[in-house]
Amino acid sequence: MPFVSSRRILVIALAGAALLSALPQSFQTSWSGTLATVLWAPLVPGASALAWVRDRIRAPAEPYQGLPEELRTTREGRDQLQGELDAAQLRVGQLERELGELSGYRPADRAGWQPRLATVIERGAGRPAGLLGIDVGTAQGIGEGDPVVVGGNQIIGMIAAGGAENRSWVIPLDDRRCGRIDAIVLPETADGSSDASGGTGAGGKKADKAGRADKSDKARNGTRATVLVQLVPQGNRTLVGELESPADVKPGDSVLLSDAAWRPAAQGMRIGVVESEGALDANPLRRRITVRMESDPLRVARVVVKVRVSGQGQGTRGTGAAK
Amino acid sequence: MRWWVFIPVLALVLTMDAAFMPAFAIGGHVPQLWPLLLAFVALYASRGAALWAAMIVGIWLDAMHPALGVGAETPRAVTVFGPHVLACAAGAWCVLETRTWLYRRNVLTVAFSTFNCALLASLAFIAIAGIRAAYADPSPLWGGGSGAAAVGSDVVDALYSAVIAILPAWGLQSTLTVWGFATAGPRFAGGNRMYRGND
Repeated sequence: MPFVSSRRILVIALAGAALLSALPQSFQTSWSGTLATVLWAPLVPGASALAWVRDRIRAPAEPYQGLPEELRTTREGRDQLQGELDAAQLRVGQLERELGELSGYRPADRAGWQPRLATVIERGAGRPAGLLGIDVGTAQGIGEGDPVVVGGNQIIGMIAAGGAENRSWVIPLDDRRCGRIDAIVLPETADGSSDASGGTGAGGKKADKAGRADKSDKARNGTRATVLVQLVPQGNRTLVGELESPADVKPGDSVLLSDAAWRPAAQGMRIGVVESEGALDANPLRRRITVRMESDPLRVARVVVKVRVSGQGQGTRGTGAAK
Repeated sequence: MRWWVFIPVLALVLTMDAAFMPAFAIGGHVPQLWPLLLAFVALYASRGAALWAAMIVGIWLDAMHPALGVGAETPRAVTVFGPHVLACAAGAWCVLETRTWLYRRNVLTVAFSTFNCALLASLAFIAIAGIRAAYADPSPLWGGGSGAAAVGSDVVDALYSAVIAILPAWGLQSTLTVWGFATAGPRFAGGNRMYRGND
């Protein structure tokens, strides 16, 4: 190729690359996505085949692995129903709260959701790291902000804006770029089960609510109350948060998402369990908890995207079957 | 260099990096094959061909690794072309500068160059991302954490990539004649550089 031997063209190309590198994202947004899709298109068949081989070589870490398919499906269905129950209870708690503060009342988001099965075909090794590429996109109804779950109710991330027709990017929950996440810690009751009643607040009120225990919940549970906490993703499947010292949180407690900034379908989904809690040296009145996600986003092979469907009741599932 | 050989091999390598290599992840560190291919090309091809190859690799890497920008409701995946192009050019340049004092026909040399290439590309990328973070990006292109932590993580990735590269490097070395490199004739000697018009 004659251009290869031209020093001048090489210098111009490198200067062009330097210029592009220096420009803000907004200068490239209009065309870079299309070009990336075109460049990625020839790799898709090979990537799908190699993803299958990858999963044969190293089994993905998914919930209930090793169980018979029927039992696994049943347990995932149970978890899904548990998630919906948790979400409904959170919603009831929120409505009760809003009824008490009529000035702060706002209409409920009536959007429902529909499950859409997707295969992880790309895992973002290299820089920028962390995003997962899945094989469904806007053509399948996937939209920005849709929650991504595994095993019925374990949330692992959300769909980033800027996906293509048949390809979307998932921001893992433990990615710092996911932002702060409001959650509730669900104490284990004496019989080992947990209760999601109430414990959530109206959207937007964040750090000041961390660690606040709800006395009505305490009465309902009989033992320990749910605790609000704001989590900061740390990578490596962990998120950390701070609590007020009186909050009754123990390792092993479940943590559920309860953030108004997320889609309604994400509310009540399980983030993980409290791995450790301890004193915060910098502030003796507060404590720090570490939450570990139960599923590793970098080792899941198939995920379910809870696609938004307008015009249905909160939490209702569409009839459309997964892909 | 025969570009009709390079492009399909690059496509295969990038596909493997995206979909297959995570199978070998250890503690979050994933080996990659593109530094191997780039180092191999930079060891044997002419300077111009190696830098062009680096730019093509970089464009493809930019397309495969979107950054996260500000969206209306949720962060937006935005493909930013440029950083990987320069980073790969830096990686290839490192190999081009060191190849004169290396015994090239050895898989360990290719692995060593893979490490050099990956490390310098990573340093260049983090430097560019750091500059961009000052004025253009809501969060640094390298993801979460500090730049120093990203460099530390990438050093481990580069080492792991170099170790994994040994076997495929042997495969690439055995196909040397197919590539039509300018400096890889049969037992090339420094004094009789062959001129290849199409390189």
